[in-house]
Amino acid sequence: MLKHESIETNAGLLIILTLVAIGIGGLVEIVPLFYIDGTIEKVQTADGKDAVRPYTPLEQRGRDIYIREGCYTCHSQMIRPFRDEALRYGHYSLAAESQYDHPFQWGSMRRGPDLARVGGKYSNGWHVKHLNNPRDVVPTSIMPSYPWLLKNDLAYGDIKDRMIALKKVGVPYSLTQLEYDANVKKFGEEVAKMLDINNADANLLAQAQEKNTDGDPSRVTEMEALVAYLQVLGTMVDFKAHDEHEFIQFR
Amino acid sequence: MAHSAVGSNEQYNYDIVKKFAIAALIWGVAGMTTGVWIASELTWPFLNFDIANITFGRLRPVHTSGVIFGFGGNALFATSYYVVQRTCQTRLWGGTFWPNFTFWGWNIAILVAGIGYTFGITQGREYAEPEWYVDIAIAIVWVTYFLIFTMTIIRRNQPHIYVANWFYLAFILATALLHIFNNLAMPVSLTGIKSYSLFAGAQDAMTQWWYGHNAVGFFLTAAFLGMMYYFVPKQAGRPVYSYRLSIVHFWALGFMYMWVGTHHLHWTAIPDWTSSLAAAFSILLLMPSWGGMINGIMTLSGAWNKLRTDPIMMFMITALSFYGMSTFEGPMMALKSVNALSHYTDWTVGHVHSGALGWVAMISIASFYHMIPRLWNTTLYSMKLVKIHFFLATIGTLLYITSMWVSGIGQGMQLREFDEFGNLANTFISTVEFMHYPLMARAIGGMFFVAGMLLMVYNVYMTIRSAKQEDQVAATVIAKA
Amino acid sequence: MAYKDPITGVETTGHVWDDDLQEFNNPLPRWWLWAFYGTVIFALIYWTIYPAWPIGKSYTKGIMNDITYTTRSGEYTTHWNTRALLQKEMVSGEMALIQKKELEKVKGMSYADIAKDADTQAFVQSFGKGIFGDYCAACHQTGGVGVIGAYPNLSDDAWLWGGTTKDIENTIRHGRLGFMPSYKDTLSEEKINEVANYVLSLSGEKSDPVLAAKGKEIFQGNEGGCYACHTTEAKGMKEQGSANLTDQIWTIADVKGVDSAEAKLNAVKSVITNGVTRRMPAWGERLKDTEIKVLTAYISSFGAGQ
Ligand code: HEC
Ligand code: HEC
Ligand code: HEC
Ligand code: HEM
Ligand code: HEM
Ligand SMILES: [Ca+2]
Ligand SMILES: [Ca+2]
Ligand SMILES: [Cu+2]
Repeated sequence: MLKHESIETNAGLLIILTLVAIGIGGLVEIVPLFYIDGTIEKVQTADGKDAVRPYTPLEQRGRDIYIREGCYTCHSQMIRPFRDEALRYGHYSLAAESQYDHPFQWGSMRRGPDLARVGGKYSNGWHVKHLNNPRDVVPTSIMPSYPWLLKNDLAYGDIKDRMIALKKVGVPYSLTQLEYDANVKKFGEEVAKMLDINNADANLLAQAQEKNTDGDPSRVTEMEALVAYLQVLGTMVDFKAHDEHEFIQFR
Repeated sequence: MAHSAVGSNEQYNYDIVKKFAIAALIWGVAGMTTGVWIASELTWPFLNFDIANITFGRLRPVHTSGVIFGFGGNALFATSYYVVQRTCQTRLWGGTFWPNFTFWGWNIAILVAGIGYTFGITQGREYAEPEWYVDIAIAIVWVTYFLIFTMTIIRRNQPHIYVANWFYLAFILATALLHIFNNLAMPVSLTGIKSYSLFAGAQDAMTQWWYGHNAVGFFLTAAFLGMMYYFVPKQAGRPVYSYRLSIVHFWALGFMYMWVGTHHLHWTAIPDWTSSLAAAFSILLLMPSWGGMINGIMTLSGAWNKLRTDPIMMFMITALSFYGMSTFEGPMMALKSVNALSHYTDWTVGHVHSGALGWVAMISIASFYHMIPRLWNTTLYSMKLVKIHFFLATIGTLLYITSMWVSGIGQGMQLREFDEFGNLANTFISTVEFMHYPLMARAIGGMFFVAGMLLMVYNVYMTIRSAKQEDQVAATVIAKA
Repeated sequence: MAYKDPITGVETTGHVWDDDLQEFNNPLPRWWLWAFYGTVIFALIYWTIYPAWPIGKSYTKGIMNDITYTTRSGEYTTHWNTRALLQKEMVSGEMALIQKKELEKVKGMSYADIAKDADTQAFVQSFGKGIFGDYCAACHQTGGVGVIGAYPNLSDDAWLWGGTTKDIENTIRHGRLGFMPSYKDTLSEEKINEVANYVLSLSGEKSDPVLAAKGKEIFQGNEGGCYACHTTEAKGMKEQGSANLTDQIWTIADVKGVDSAEAKLNAVKSVITNGVTRRMPAWGERLKDTEIKVLTAYISSFGAGQ
C-alpha cells in the first residue's frame, strides 16, 4: 500500500484517478444504448409505417400535466414481462413505445396500477369522474382528487414553442414541407398532419372538440388534455398483428 | 506525533459551518415533517384537501429534495467544510464570500425548486426534479464548492490528505458529473420554466437511474462515509481501524457504484445485458460497502464501553449497523429474481429509509451532536435529551422499515399470486386496502422520528443560547478587567 | 512516526490529523477479503450465463442458459432473456397450463352446463374475481351493483342491451354507447315536467294525473318522440339500449334513492333535460373470446340474466 502515499499526498492525482474510476461505468453502460442494434425495437404496421408516433399537441399538453401533477410518484408506465402483469395490465412494454417520451415516465413505485396500457380501458367520462374524485368510482382509492383539472382552461398559447423544443431534442414534428413529407412516409398522412407544428393550435382545438370530454365544447380544459393523453397510452402497437418472436429477438 | 499541531478556533472559518449546520436542522425538520404529511395522505387521502399545491404527487418531491438536498446537502456542506479545515489545518479557501456564496446559492436553489414543485414546476425525473434554471444554478454552486474544497486541500498544512476528504471529494466530483449529464434539457423558451429532457425512453431511463442510483451512492453514501471517517474516530478517541481497508473500499466503491444504476430498471424495456451488469456489480458492492461499516464499528475496539455510556456513540454505531443492513438488503434486492417482487412496492421505500433514517440521518445527527458544541466552543445542553432522541429515532426507524416490509412484501406476493385455477388471486385495489394499516404504522414511525428531531432542535438551541451567554459573561469579565 | 496502541498492540501508520486522528495499520480482515473474492466469482459466473457485456454493436449473450419457446410462428431457442422467459411461461408454465385447461373446458360448454357444473362455476368465480375486479369493478363496482346515474347494475334483472348471454357477450366485446338526447332546447320546462309525470306514472310512482296525461301526448307524439326509442309501451328497446320505464328499476334517474315525490320528479326531469351519453368500453382487444365467455357466465351468476 506504499504506493497509495503518492495519491493521497497529491490532490491533482487523487482527483484524476477518482474521475477515471467513476467515469467508466457510465461510459460502458450508457453509450452503447445509442448504437447497439435493437435497443429500440423497430415496430411497423402492415403497410410499412411506424407504429409508434409522437403525441398530438393535445396529448402532449396532457403529458405535461401528468408530469406537473406528479402522477409518476404513484404510477408506473412499464409493464414487465411477468404473467401476472400480462393478465392484469396487458402486453409488456416495448422500448419503442416510449421512444418519443422526453422525459420517460416508467416510474419507480406503484401506489396505483400501472398505466402503460390504460388507453381505451375506461371511457372518457370515467376518467373525468375518477380524476375529479377517485372515491366516487373506487370507494377505497387513496389517489388524490384533481378537481381543478375541470376548472382550469388549458393554456396552449405556447404549444408551438413546446413542439419546437421537442423537435430540437429529436421528436419528428414537422416545420417545413420537406419534414412534413418525410412524416407522411414514416407515419402516414393522417398522423403527419397532427405532427405539423404550423397547424398545432388548430389540431389541438379540433381534437379537443371532437372528444368533448368535459361536455363543454366552448372551452378546452386541462382535463381534456390529460384524458387525451391517458387514452393514447399503450394503444399504438397492435400486438395481435405481430408474432411474439419479433419482439423476443430484440433481447 | 509528527504532523500534529493544535489549531486555534480563530484559525478556521466556523461561521460558514454554523450556517450550514443550522440550515440542515431546519431542512431536516421541514423535510421530515413533509414526509410524515405525505405518509398520512396515503393513509387518510382527505388530507390532500383538494389543494393542488399539497397533493401527494407534488409534495413527494418536496420531501425527497427537502431531506436529501436540504437536510443531507446542508449537513454535508457543514461537515465537509469543518472536516477539511481541521484535517488540513488550514482556513477554508475563498475568504468569506465564496463559502457564503455556496450557502446562499445552495439553499435558495433548493427553496426555489421546492416551492416550484408545489406549483407543478418539475422535470418529472426522480431526485432531479428541479427545472433547468435551478439545475444551472446548482451546477454553478457545485463548481464553486469543488473549488473551495480542492483549494483548501491544496493549501493544507499536512502532507497527507485524510481519508474523510477522499470520500467528500469523490462525492463532489461524482455529483457534478451526474448532475450535468442527467439534466441535459431543452428549455421551451429562455424566459419560460418548462424544458424537455435531451434523451427519451430507454436511454433517458438509463441516464436517469445512472444518476438516481448514484445520488444514493455518492450523495447518501460516499459523502456520509466521509462524515463517518472523521466523527467516529473523533468521538471514540480511537484510531481508524484499518488504513488499508479504507483504501481498498474507497476505490472499489467509487468504481463499482457507477455500474449498478440499472438495478432500478430490472425487467423493464431496457436491454437485459445492462441489467446483468448492474445485478452482478451490486453484489460486488456488498463487501466494499461493508468495508466502511467495519472500519467504523471496529474503530470502537478498545472503547466498547462508550457504547453504554455515550449516546452520541450509540447513534453512530446504530447508524453504521443500519448502513450495513441496507447495503446488504440493497444487493439482495438487486438480484433480478428478488427485484421482480420488490420493485414498484414499499419494500423499496423501506430499504430507502433504512438507509435514509438509519444511516444518513443518524450519522448526521451524531456528527452534529459532536460538532455543534465545538463550533460554539461550549458543551451540549443536555446529554439526556440526546439519549431520548436516540430511542425515538431508533423506534421510529424500526417501525418505519418493518411496516414497509409487511406492506411491500405483502403487496408483491399478492399481486403475483395465482389461485388453484391459475387465475389472478387478487385485484390491485385489494392490495391497496391491505396496505392501509402498514401505511398507518409507517406514518406513526415517522412521527417518532420527527419528535426526536424536534428535541434535537431544542437541545441545539439551548446549547447555542448558553454559549452566547457564556461569551457575554466572558466579554464583561474582560471589559471589567 | 508509527505508534503502538497499548490496548490492541497494533501499530498506526504514523500520520496524525487534527490533534488525534490516526489510522491503525491493520490488514484487511481475512473473512472480508474472502467474501469479496466470493462475490467476484459470483459475478464472473453470472456474466457467463447471462447477457452482460457490450461488444461492438452487440453484447455477450451468455452460455448454458438457453431458453426454448414457441410462438404462433414456430419454435425457437435463444440465449436467456426476459421476454423469452415470459413467452415460455405463458405457453407452457404450470399456472398457464392449468388456466388454459379450464378455459378450454369452458369453451366447449353451454352456459346452462357452466351454471350447473360446480367445478366450472368455481373456475368462473375465481376468474371473475380477479379480472372483473381489475377491469370492470372500477365502473360496475364489486359484485356488479353499479352506480346509479353512471354505471348500470349488472346484478338486477333489467338489461338495457339485453340479458341473453349472446347480448352480454356482445356488450363486453364491442362496448356500448348509451345515448339519449338532451331535451333542454326542444321542450319547455313545463313540458318536461309533464312528461316526467307521465314517466313516473308508468311504473306506478306517485304523479299528477292531469300533468301525466299531457305528458303522454308528448311522449307518444312527435313533440317528444320518446316512443321512438322507448317504444309506445315504454318498455325500452335492447337494440338501442333504451331503458324500460315501466319497471321498478332505475339506472340513470335515482328515483329509488330519494324519498320525496318532488325529488323523484326532479330526478326524472334531470334525465330528460340533460339527456344521457355514457360509454361502455370494448374489451374485444384485451380479452379473448373464451375469457369473455367466462366473464359473461360470471355476470350471470350475480343472480340476474334471462
Ligand atoms: C397517492 C397516489 C396517487 C397519485 C398521486 C395518483 N394516483 Fe392514480 N391511482 C392511485 C391508486 C391507489 C389507484 C387505484 C385505485 C383507483 O382506481 O382509484 C389509481 C388509479 C388510477 C387510474 C386507473 C388505473 C386502472 O387501470 O384502473 C388512473 C387512470 C389514474 N390513477 C391516473 C392518475 C393520474 C393521471 C394522476 C395524476 C394526475 C394520478 N393517477 C395520481 C394512486 C394515485
Ligand atoms: C368505463 C366504465 C366501464 C367499464 C370499465 C366497464 N363497463 Fe360495462 N358498462 C358501462 C356503461 C356506462 C354501461 C351502460 C352503457 C349504456 O348506458 O348503454 C355498461 C354496460 C354494461 C353491460 C350491459 C348492461 C345492460 O344493462 O345491458 C354489461 C353486461 C357490462 N357493462 C359488463 C361489463 C364488463 C364484463 C366489464 C369488464 C370487462 C365492464 N362492463 C367494464 C361502463 C363500464
Ligand atoms: C334516441 C333515443 C331516445 C329518445 C328519443 C329518448 N330516450 Fe330516454 N333513454 C334512451 C336510452 C338509450 C336510455 C338509457 C341510457 C343509458 O342507460 O345509458 C334512456 C333512459 C331514459 C330514462 C332513465 C331510465 C332510468 O332507468 O333511469 C328516462 C327517465 C328516459 N329515458 C325518458 C325519456 C323521455 C321522457 C324521452 C322523451 C322526452 C326519452 N327518454 C327519449 C334513449 C332515448
Ligand atoms: C450496496 C449498496 C446498495 C445497493 C446494491 C442498493 C440497491 C438498491 C436496489 C436494488 C433498489 C431498488 C430499485 C428498484 O427496484 O426500483 C434500491 C433502491 C433505493 N436505494 Fe439502495 N442499495 C444500496 C444501498 C443504499 C443506501 C445505503 C441507501 C441510502 C439511503 C440507498 C437508497 C436507496 C434509494 C433512495 C432507493 C430508491 C430509489 C427509487 O426508486 O426512487 N440504497 N437500492
Ligand atoms: C420522519 C421521517 C420520514 C418520513 C415519515 C418519510 C416518509 C416518506 C414517504 C411517505 C415517502 C413516499 C413513499 C411512497 O411513495 O409511498 C418517502 C419517500 C422517500 N424518502 Fe422519506 N421520510 C422520512 C425521512 C427521510 C429522510 C431523512 C430521507 C433521506 C435522507 C428520506 C428519503 C426519501 C427518499 C429517497 C424517498 C423516495 C423513495 C422511493 O422513491 O423509493 N426520507 N418518505
Ligand atoms: Ca422512487
Ligand atoms: Ca433537474
Ligand atoms: Cu440503486
